[in-house]
Amino acid sequence: MPSGPIQDSFCLEFLITNQNSDGGWGYHPASLSAVEPTAWALAALLSWRDSPAPAEACTRAREWLLKAQRVDGSWPSYPGQPQGCWVTSVASHSLVLQGGAEGAVQKGLEWLLAAWPAEGSLWWRLRQSVFPSGVVRQDSSLRGWNWTPGTASWVEPTAHALLFLRALPPQLLPPGATKRRQLAEGMLFDRTCPGGGWNTGNPLVYGVAGVPRTGPTAWALLALRDHADRAEIQKSLAWLEGAYSGIHGPASLALAHRSLAAYGRRVSPLAPSLGELYSQNQFFGNVLTIAWIMLALKEEESSPAPSAGEGATR
Amino acid sequence: MSYAQPSLMPSFSRPESRVAIVRSEKYDHDLSALIFAALREFDLPVAGKKVLLKPNFVEPDPEGTINTNPAVVGGAREAFLRLGAESVVVAEGPGHERDTEGIVETIGLRDFLGPLSKLFVDLNLDEVQAVNLRTRASKLKQLYFPRTVLEADYIVSMPKLKTHHWVGATLSLKNMFGIVPGCCYGWPKNVLHWAGITSSILDINSTVRPDFAIVDGIVGMEGNGPIQGSPKRSGVLVLGDDPVAVDATCVRVMGLDPQRIDYLAKAGALLGHLQPGKIRQLAESVASVRTPFAVLPAFQKLVAGNGK
Repeated sequence: MPSGPIQDSFCLEFLITNQNSDGGWGYHPASLSAVEPTAWALAALLSWRDSPAPAEACTRAREWLLKAQRVDGSWPSYPGQPQGCWVTSVASHSLVLQGGAEGAVQKGLEWLLAAWPAEGSLWWRLRQSVFPSGVVRQDSSLRGWNWTPGTASWVEPTAHALLFLRALPPQLLPPGATKRRQLAEGMLFDRTCPGGGWNTGNPLVYGVAGVPRTGPTAWALLALRDHADRAEIQKSLAWLEGAYSGIHGPASLALAHRSLAAYGRRVSPLAPSLGELYSQNQFFGNVLTIAWIMLALKEEESSPAPSAGEGATR
Repeated sequence: MSYAQPSLMPSFSRPESRVAIVRSEKYDHDLSALIFAALREFDLPVAGKKVLLKPNFVEPDPEGTINTNPAVVGGAREAFLRLGAESVVVAEGPGHERDTEGIVETIGLRDFLGPLSKLFVDLNLDEVQAVNLRTRASKLKQLYFPRTVLEADYIVSMPKLKTHHWVGATLSLKNMFGIVPGCCYGWPKNVLHWAGITSSILDINSTVRPDFAIVDGIVGMEGNGPIQGSPKRSGVLVLGDDPVAVDATCVRVMGLDPQRIDYLAKAGALLGHLQPGKIRQLAESVASVRTPFAVLPAFQKLVAGNGK
């Protein structure tokens, strides 16, 4: 149990120790393997700075993910569930990072490109034209991705899908992917909160500006890295820098740190802050949190250290 | 592993439900003693049971307007332990915010419960079990529920007294949305919205019906709730053994008419008692604590006495 800064070696040991015998990870140690924690744990292990990477653990994770994939190419939250969902983006992305699973990735991509959110469909548009809501402000022609089939676009699943598409070599993307990507990026920009940043995806309800949240803001920023010059991005980065010092959860802190570092924003070193937070509740033993921390520490390596009193600090 | 499903209306067949309104103007006094004294009036069968407290934790809110106050949660936990519960865990699956640890740390839950790693369960990330819904108000038919909820012997819904910009008011029945796991349905659990909020409330509560409810109305929220409204001091805790009766009583305290809140009117026909004549009122009367809550213009029709 660490009593000082949290280093990536701690994360590595935690993940290796808590990999289930079937090759997957649950959301917590010794719990049933699930797709999302397995995909993130795999991505985190692949970011390990030293070589060789923990190859055996990664191979077992890949095999588990391949077995969990549904015939239609999607992944469900837990193996055996009757419907795929947003974790398809995360699982496919991790398999791209690892390599050697092109067939599964291709099937995941095809499922994802065919998965449209429910808003904006012909029936939905007809209903809206007869019974306009007026409660929520959004351009529903801009469609991203949903959490589960038959529901609406939201910020985080849209960001995950865009991150997956961004990781693919352009020659692997079918023609329809470009249009889908443009719509989804447009949807994210449309859902920016008036003061910058993102919440889950309702920037204005009853005319009242939504309050941005750290997680969705960090994911959206990571997904929109190719648009760093846009005003919405700059405003959102400023919001995230301002919010940084008030973050009390390790998962949010890791996401905010990774996102700011990805844009070259100066942030105070993550490891000491994490050490303080670890003493609270040992991160609740949350595998996602540990994986996101490992990825944030990796991102930090390529970001310049801040001078005293400069950048986002805690 | 198989789980026994609760019967649809286990306590609805009783001649009347019991609801207690107790005054408490502030959070910084002995809420444990207050809640314990109130619970003793109910003679609850919790000795030796695994009790699950389900508060309403929505997002980090240091101002204390959005979430069930941790002092109430801590007080309830102590009270149920004094009543002989084998264990009392606090469990919640926030609907918008994935960083549950960030929420509970921001609101200071650890100050009232001690180290949380063994006492708090993030229902969004718990193992899940598919359960057939006991009613067909929505098209859902089946939902995944967290194992911790299904294995609990006694479930206590602990919402905050708030208005809600989609359904009028959010109380102990709506609070049960938080047992639907984000790991399967996302943040928000949008499948419930598309299936219809009213219908989903009925289906969830018919399947996993809270055994008891404790509503934090010391400081509630009026106007554009459940997140962006204004604090409203009512100075009460509302407790009862029928979540429908508790919610109906709360709504009356807020100056609204429970029959005009769609999900409550339907719950009154399915899951519990709505009519004052079927609710035995303990401690304070509704009239003595009534504190009209402001509502959005779209919900003026819910105000008791307003023309429909």
